[in-house]
Amino acid sequence: MDKLTIAMPKGRIFEEAYELLVKAGFDLPEELDDSRKLIVEAPNEGFRFILSKPMDVPVYVEHGVADIGIAGKDVLLEQARDIHELLDLEISRCYIATAGLPDTAMDEMTPRIATKYPDIASQFFRSRGEQVEIIELNGSIELAPMIGLAERIVDIVSTGKTLKENGLVEYDKIVDITSRLIANPVSYRLKQKRIDEIVERLRK
Amino acid sequence: MTIQMFEKPLGMRDDFPSIVKRKSKLSKVGIKIMEQFGYEMLQTPSLEYYETIGKISAIADNQLFKLLDNQGQTLVLRPDMTSPIARVAASKLLKEKMPVRLGYYSNVFRAQLREGGRPAEFEQIGVELIGDESLYADAEVILLATEILRGLKVESGRIVIGHTQLLQEVLRGYGLDAALAEKLRAEMVAKNKVAYENMVDTLVDDAETKSSLKMIMNTTRLEDWEQWIDQTDPVQRSLYEDIRKLKTILDRNGLADFVTYDLSFTSHMTYYTGMVFEIYGEGSGFPLGNGGRYDGLMKQFGLHVGATGFSLRVDRLLEAMPAEQENPEQTLILYNEKNEENAHKEAEKLRTAGTRVTLQFAPAVKAQEEFSSLFSKVIRMDGENNG
Repeated sequence: MDKLTIAMPKGRIFEEAYELLVKAGFDLPEELDDSRKLIVEAPNEGFRFILSKPMDVPVYVEHGVADIGIAGKDVLLEQARDIHELLDLEISRCYIATAGLPDTAMDEMTPRIATKYPDIASQFFRSRGEQVEIIELNGSIELAPMIGLAERIVDIVSTGKTLKENGLVEYDKIVDITSRLIANPVSYRLKQKRIDEIVERLRK
Repeated sequence: MTIQMFEKPLGMRDDFPSIVKRKSKLSKVGIKIMEQFGYEMLQTPSLEYYETIGKISAIADNQLFKLLDNQGQTLVLRPDMTSPIARVAASKLLKEKMPVRLGYYSNVFRAQLREGGRPAEFEQIGVELIGDESLYADAEVILLATEILRGLKVESGRIVIGHTQLLQEVLRGYGLDAALAEKLRAEMVAKNKVAYENMVDTLVDDAETKSSLKMIMNTTRLEDWEQWIDQTDPVQRSLYEDIRKLKTILDRNGLADFVTYDLSFTSHMTYYTGMVFEIYGEGSGFPLGNGGRYDGLMKQFGLHVGATGFSLRVDRLLEAMPAEQENPEQTLILYNEKNEENAHKEAEKLRTAGTRVTLQFAPAVKAQEEFSSLFSKVIRMDGENNG
């Protein structure tokens, strides 16, 4: 049996995704995430897991070094890579929204928007015909309005707790996010039977 | 912006001797097979008018390299070979010889929008069979493409075949409005099953239509297609009949296990009007090439004839081809001033016998040992002893 390489996001999504695979009846080793290994084998199923940064999963899959992978829709929207989206796993549910300090209006000329998702943010404001300046940050986005870097942020909201703790309120919901099973277009064709079978088992 | 001495424009690459060697071998094998099938090689200019080729080619506008000529006309570096060849074929010169079989090995230019390391200039090898509307022409180009892969020793290739017109007829058969059908088609192109299924769920009411539409995305065998074909519709019936005959021919040529028939497989290139296919191989994470029937493109040049063809990407073929260990013998003759004439004679003798010989004036080489180590054999004619 050919080995199937699966790119998995480390961290938050990993446990949910792994549990999903176990529930679908795949025979996987018990704990995986606690090791610092980057590549983990599941010999009974012929799987090889690559553990990567969530943002990098679509990169591995697009280049075909991973056959399939699990990636958040936020990352897929931001990167618009050439991959097949096979299944909505309906885990790690959250959404992308704009937020800012309460009762503030955006600057009329060119409001500044801080975000980890410059493409999604830019598309959203363009679709509303608003000209904005996008400021890309890599983390702690909530800081931006508090210290006067930006008037709004565009970020992931899951419970809204982080926003609240930092005294921010949500303004517009942009799009719902869940994790997806994605496939490399070539792998999908060369290993279609196996990949389709995984999709069917996860669907149940 | 200052440009560093070694910098090249985004997406442009230097090909080193080892790559050039492999490419020339690839082109030799490819061209030979195309010629054996009766295709004649054609070259078209690197620059074309934006108004014609630029707009007709299916490459997105923001991927075109545009420039102005001294008349102020907008030109493009050719983004593909299919449209220039269609232009040539539609001209008076070749119109009378139809059907014409033309092949090419050419570089094309497509500006990269992301990840600057990807090539913006790359070679394609392919053919166009123009002036034949029959399925036999479609079968011929697919067989030719697989023959080239075989010639290049690309193992475990796989072909996916769809049919754009038949798919459109099937979608029309559901009575969907044109805009919705186009949206569904766009998700099929991206193979985004999630978005496709959501769209069907929210926009289609009838439960039976829903489940039947969803299933289209999962077809792999030609027999699967039958459940969507309306046998009372003469157009659908005849298109399906054609693709069945095509399958018979491919099966007869040993391709039964290598072809997937996916009714939902279609192309973003709107000029494809019939059978479309894509080729994959182990070793490259990207498709090796694609092709199909593009009668619609010929119409844009005012010619109502059939046309079908394919193109393979050379850079991806190189990835999928087995690595070769072959290292040809390369002899070095090091000479000094005194032996210059004799060295030339010796070299000529060896070259006539088929050896590759590098002649080098010894005092001009600073690091003789390192330089000599690049050769399989060294002949000293510079007064030193053979090491």
